[in-house]
Amino acid sequence: MKTLRRYSFPYLIWMILFVLVPTLFLVVLAFSDLSLYRLSAFSIRFDNFAIFQESYIITALSNSLIYAFVVTILSFLIGYPVAFYLTTLSEKTKKILIALLILPLWTNMLVRITAWERIFSPNSIFTDIFNVSIPILGTQAAVVIGLLALYLPFMVFPIFSVLDKLDPKMIEASKDLGANDTQTFIKVIFPLSLGGVVSGFIMTFLPSLTAFALPETLGWRRVPMIGMEIQKKFIIEGFQAFSINQGALISILIMLFSIASFILITRVDKEGETLI
Amino acid sequence: MKKRLIVLNHVKKSFGDLTVLDDFNLYINENEFITLLGPSGCGKTTCLRLIGGFESPDEGTIEFDGKVINDLEPNEREINTCFQKYALFPHLNVYNNVAFGLKIKKVPKAEIEERVMQTLKLVKLEDYASRSISTLSGGQQQRVAIARAIINRPKVLLLDEPLGALDLKLRQEMQYELKEMQRQLGITFVYVTHDQEEALTMSDVIVIMNEGKILQIGSPEDIYNEPKNRFVANFIGESNIFEGKMIDDYWVHFCGRDFKCVDKGFEEFEEVDVVIRPEDFDFVPPSKAKIVGRVDSLIFRGVHYEINVIVDGHEYTIHTTKYREIGDKVGLAVEPANIHIMKKEASK
Repeated sequence: MKTLRRYSFPYLIWMILFVLVPTLFLVVLAFSDLSLYRLSAFSIRFDNFAIFQESYIITALSNSLIYAFVVTILSFLIGYPVAFYLTTLSEKTKKILIALLILPLWTNMLVRITAWERIFSPNSIFTDIFNVSIPILGTQAAVVIGLLALYLPFMVFPIFSVLDKLDPKMIEASKDLGANDTQTFIKVIFPLSLGGVVSGFIMTFLPSLTAFALPETLGWRRVPMIGMEIQKKFIIEGFQAFSINQGALISILIMLFSIASFILITRVDKEGETLI
Repeated sequence: MKKRLIVLNHVKKSFGDLTVLDDFNLYINENEFITLLGPSGCGKTTCLRLIGGFESPDEGTIEFDGKVINDLEPNEREINTCFQKYALFPHLNVYNNVAFGLKIKKVPKAEIEERVMQTLKLVKLEDYASRSISTLSGGQQQRVAIARAIINRPKVLLLDEPLGALDLKLRQEMQYELKEMQRQLGITFVYVTHDQEEALTMSDVIVIMNEGKILQIGSPEDIYNEPKNRFVANFIGESNIFEGKMIDDYWVHFCGRDFKCVDKGFEEFEEVDVVIRPEDFDFVPPSKAKIVGRVDSLIFRGVHYEINVIVDGHEYTIHTTKYREIGDKVGLAVEPANIHIMKKEASK
């Protein structure tokens, strides 16, 4: 088996070059005065933290946290019943419905965002057909609905995969012991699906938190989110001193969320079965 | 007369094209330890699930305490189940698994605690209350499953091959304990197993099933000593089964010889199956024996030897504590009372 190991090298090297090294770069950038496009000697500096006192960053950050939270909760409320419903279907219907959930994910995200942009414009396809329009571009609602549409499947899948594997004997045992359907759900089914719920939360919360293309398109610039600010910080490098260092620092803050989530997932779901 | 607690009337149950039970009739008395015994696929588990409420019959009625309960959900029945692989809740510890039923019934907390500890004591797990299920051995999980069911003081406890996953020693221990518990609690036990020894050890009544039909109902002694047909004789214990003919009352002919027996009431020359249990043969000096043969094989089985003797081309299996060499010439004797005559099966 050892000889097979070398076939994993190309991707491992790729990951070192394009994941590990850039991440290390990001850390160095965040805590120094290094300029990315003019590599030279640099000195450690913590002044970059001042960025977290800027009101526009605070707004963007709190927006991101709030929207991500709202989207996650809504996804859960909408997604859990769907996941549960899927498990009750015959294998064939189940497959068809799952395909319907997956298919949109195979469409490029930017295309889907553009589609929502058209729908939320004053003159959309709905105006032509039904003579109604939903002109909410540039509002929080547009951003939240867009994020919801984008990430809802990621709530459904992990919950479905846990529920689908749930031993039907658990439900029988619960009913045998006198629990009705509601009690069985609260005391047995839901607690046993928590692993999937946590995965679902993380898989909708994290991408919502870091979204930048969607809020930019659907929210124009009126609904700032932290992803947009990071993007800006990196683009305007050169016009403003230490901009890229500040961007790196914000990125690392966001990365901490990812690391915390990863730790949480490995705690609740030791076999990683809920991760797709 | 004992009170009939559960009655199954003309019950039919199919899964798709497969009819598992057809015109199935059975009654279960109060405080009885009844065992449904049969090979896998004989419908015994389906029968149990019908009583528990996990399946509903396509036709016929199930009565409990005089009332038809066909449409009652499992949670509406005064019946608890000890599942085959225990089905303990992995997210709850031992205490909370056992307390589950009482919590659902909103029993006061102090009473729950008292009854849980009392029940855990009964299954000898009082020190394990706060343990997580995954840290328990198979035998301990089994006890938790029993505790979780009996704490609700059901009228009937259904047990679906509860000892299947345990090793032999533990299984024998648990058999004894289950029987003891049933006596103490006065609960009707409906026990499903394919293990004939388990059935013989524990039951008041054994129901032998095959292909969705009841072949024989009786006490363990009845079923062992007077099997009704070839299938039952084969399934319960090991048997020598010979094709024979009744010559007259108390006289049967098989393996080329006439034997005295204790059965009568057959037609003249009626074809019958003759059963002789392996332990009912005795060795006698060949000169005095009616049956004389040669030892063909010998296996040491612990308590006894299993010896195959060939007599005129017929093979006899004998369980004995006496040793014989392979190739030895031996004489066999059998008491008339140990020759069991069974009517031939009408079909098959």
